[in-house]
Amino acid sequence: MVFIMPASVIARISIAILFLLCSLSVHAESFKVSSAHISKIGNGYVLNAKIEYPLTDKVIEAIDNSVPIVFSQQLEIIKSIPLLGRYWQWNETLWSTNIRHKLRYHALTQQYVLHALDTNSQRNFPSLISALHALGNIKELTLPPEYFDQPDNLIFQLRSGIDLHALPTPMRPGALISSKWQLTSPWVEAQWD
Amino acid sequence: MGLTIFTRLRTGITPYLLLGLSLLALAYLLSAATQDSSRLNDLFFTIFGLSIAILTLLVAILGRSLFQLYRDFKAKQEGARLTIRLVSLFALLILVSTTIVYSFSVHFLHRGINSWFDVEVEQALTDSIELSRTAFGIRMRTLLKQTRMMTGLLSELPDGDLSHNIRELTQLSGAIELSLWTMDGQLITTSTQNPEIIIPSRPNEAIFHQLEQQQDYIGIDPDHDTLQLRAAVRLPIKRASQDERFLQVIFPVNTRLSTLSKTVQHAYTDYKELSYLRKQLISIFTITLSLIVLLTLLASIWFAIWISRRIVQPLQELAQGTQAVASGNYNTKLRSASGHDEIGFLVRSFNQMTQRLTQARHATQNSHSQLEQQTNYLSTVLGSLSSGVITIDSQHMLRTANVASSKILHIDLEQRLENTIENLGDKNPFIQPFTQLIKQKLTQKESWQQQIELQQKKGLQTLMCRGTILPNDAGWVIVFDDVTTLLQAQRNAAWGEVARRLAHEIKNPLTPIQLSADRLQHKYLPLVPDDQTHTLTKLTSTIITQVEAMKEMVNDFSDYARNPGLQLQPQEVGKLIRDVLTLYQSNPAHQFTLLGASEDISLNIDSTRIRQVLHNLFKNAIEASEDAQSHVDIVISYHSMTLDDHQWLEITLQDHGPGIPEDMVNTLFEPYATNKAKGTGLGLAIVKKIIEEHHGQVWAENLDPTGACIIIRLPLEEATQ
Repeated sequence: MVFIMPASVIARISIAILFLLCSLSVHAESFKVSSAHISKIGNGYVLNAKIEYPLTDKVIEAIDNSVPIVFSQQLEIIKSIPLLGRYWQWNETLWSTNIRHKLRYHALTQQYVLHALDTNSQRNFPSLISALHALGNIKELTLPPEYFDQPDNLIFQLRSGIDLHALPTPMRPGALISSKWQLTSPWVEAQWD
Repeated sequence: MGLTIFTRLRTGITPYLLLGLSLLALAYLLSAATQDSSRLNDLFFTIFGLSIAILTLLVAILGRSLFQLYRDFKAKQEGARLTIRLVSLFALLILVSTTIVYSFSVHFLHRGINSWFDVEVEQALTDSIELSRTAFGIRMRTLLKQTRMMTGLLSELPDGDLSHNIRELTQLSGAIELSLWTMDGQLITTSTQNPEIIIPSRPNEAIFHQLEQQQDYIGIDPDHDTLQLRAAVRLPIKRASQDERFLQVIFPVNTRLSTLSKTVQHAYTDYKELSYLRKQLISIFTITLSLIVLLTLLASIWFAIWISRRIVQPLQELAQGTQAVASGNYNTKLRSASGHDEIGFLVRSFNQMTQRLTQARHATQNSHSQLEQQTNYLSTVLGSLSSGVITIDSQHMLRTANVASSKILHIDLEQRLENTIENLGDKNPFIQPFTQLIKQKLTQKESWQQQIELQQKKGLQTLMCRGTILPNDAGWVIVFDDVTTLLQAQRNAAWGEVARRLAHEIKNPLTPIQLSADRLQHKYLPLVPDDQTHTLTKLTSTIITQVEAMKEMVNDFSDYARNPGLQLQPQEVGKLIRDVLTLYQSNPAHQFTLLGASEDISLNIDSTRIRQVLHNLFKNAIEASEDAQSHVDIVISYHSMTLDDHQWLEITLQDHGPGIPEDMVNTLFEPYATNKAKGTGLGLAIVKKIIEEHHGQVWAENLDPTGACIIIRLPLEEATQ
């Protein structure tokens, strides 16, 4: 016997799946760069920023189960050249960096360890909230001064998210398609002080 | 355009090519992803999308194959039913085996992964962590006490001596680092045993918060791969102007304890992480297994359809070939199966069979053609025969009859084929002697020959019949000839010879007898007494009269026997008849009526001999009427007619006499066939002879109620009209 699904049923199922995906992505709260400022200190420029990390229960559950989570903070300096007024610009990325922190729970000490992967420095926190707070508090981060000689048309933007590729392999497929793990914040331009 | 591309994509081998290419691409991507796990992240969605596309394509191909199978089944195509049966069987086998394997695999997968974890192990690890904490707790209490002592000491010292004393305390206590902080987070002084450390480890906000709550802090800090013990204790305020401070001391953990703790921590963390990933692992493995099983299932079912079609195709062609042969197409040749299996053998045998059938058919056609030629040849021969030939089967059915048989019997036998002999006799009484003879002879098992006579309209017909049995008891072939004319000719020849001899032998002595009688009368009449004179005269006159009568009779014989050549000349029949009638119209008691055609008819005849015919007939008619003492009323008519595609002149002569006795109707024209007291009996025989010399026919019929009719038919040529 041949079972042929009518086209209308397929269309209805497709619409339902799309709607479900959209609703999931809408309900999941992503990270948020609440403030970002660039200040000039002496001859250099520093970044002060606040990033909120509202974790989903899935992420918290993973952390509580000793799964290390890598947070990435992407910073970019872009030179914007207007070609057609404000409607069309040519953006050239002058500098970009990715600051990565690994957060994990240390069961013996009952502390949350925040490990800066780039500097190999480590900070310990008795609670997750305090660890996330410390993570989101970027204070006087020195920026490369060579790009700030002509600050006109320079855009500094940043965003933050979870590096899903750093998750253990069994978790990756699920995390890649799950909105519970898609928490990357949108790009936010820093304000010049 | 779009529709054309879509049609091309969904037909032919394009889907299979697409599927093959997609599988190759998937294999390459999977290989790349497994070699470098970081690439899996980049390729994940590509691999995932490609897998879904392959699955969809496979489902589409399978759906198409199933739809084609369904369509063939609906159209009742040969082999569709067998294909469905085979596919169902294969599919059932595949489903059962795959389901069993799948179920066991999933079961073992769950059991295998779950067996990694044990409640007791988990409890042991939790306990070991707790044990480690307890072990550290004793040490921490000691160190906290020690730190408190240090704060007591430091609180007594002036700010200027703090740095020096802290260095000493660092060395004395064996701590890694000592640092003195204000409660608002300002570092007052620090001392460390590691010269590389310039900035001391800043206590986190939680420690500050705890100290603000007037609670001392002691805790274990992970530091990369090692552990440290951190103690923070507020300094007692000795002076009112002194700000609030606290001392943070970081103690090392001895190597042995640190190693053991690290092992416990790692084991616990790994176990915890693995336990957390158990569900994902099971899900991933189950999904992977399900996908593989699904792919295998779909591919197997598609392969089952394909192999079933491959198996059934030769059988299907064989069925079609068999149907073609059944419907008479012996030229059917199947594509030669390359395989050396039983099906290939079957196909080759079928081709050999059709080849032989074709040869046999050609041979049969040739035989049939030859038979037809022979039949035509035989029919032509039989048709051209003057003898009648008929065949009768064992059921007494008339099977064949040639043209001559119909002519002889005066029945269209070709229209009466498939009739029994008895039926023919019943429907045609005048051939009953013929049919009865055949019926009687059919019981014999040997050939026979017999002469019979049929009563035809124009007189008796003599047939010479011969019967021969056909081979294999297939019936009889009857050959018969109309020998009437032959017999008549033989009779006429015999009579002519008799007449000629009689004329010759008798006529010679008659004249001397007549002369002698005349001289006897003349010589002895004066010598005999008077009373004897009358007697002598009477006797000699009788002799002379009788001799004269004998002379006439001999002359008649002579006329009959004479066979002079005919002097044929165009002659108008009406005029000839009228000329002859003139001689008989002197007697007023005799009435003659001549009914002729509006236009006189001319034909080539010997007028002298035809005159003799008319004289004989008139004389015969007059004598017959007078003998019967009836009024002489003779009606003569002549007219042309068409019979059997020939023109004839028919002359009829009717009288109102007593008619012809029934026993004489058929022999009327035979010599000496007469019922009259006088006459030679040769008159009508001479008539018939002359008419036959003119290739004509003459016969007699009785009229109703009385009277007789003589009918003469002479061939009439177009040119003479």
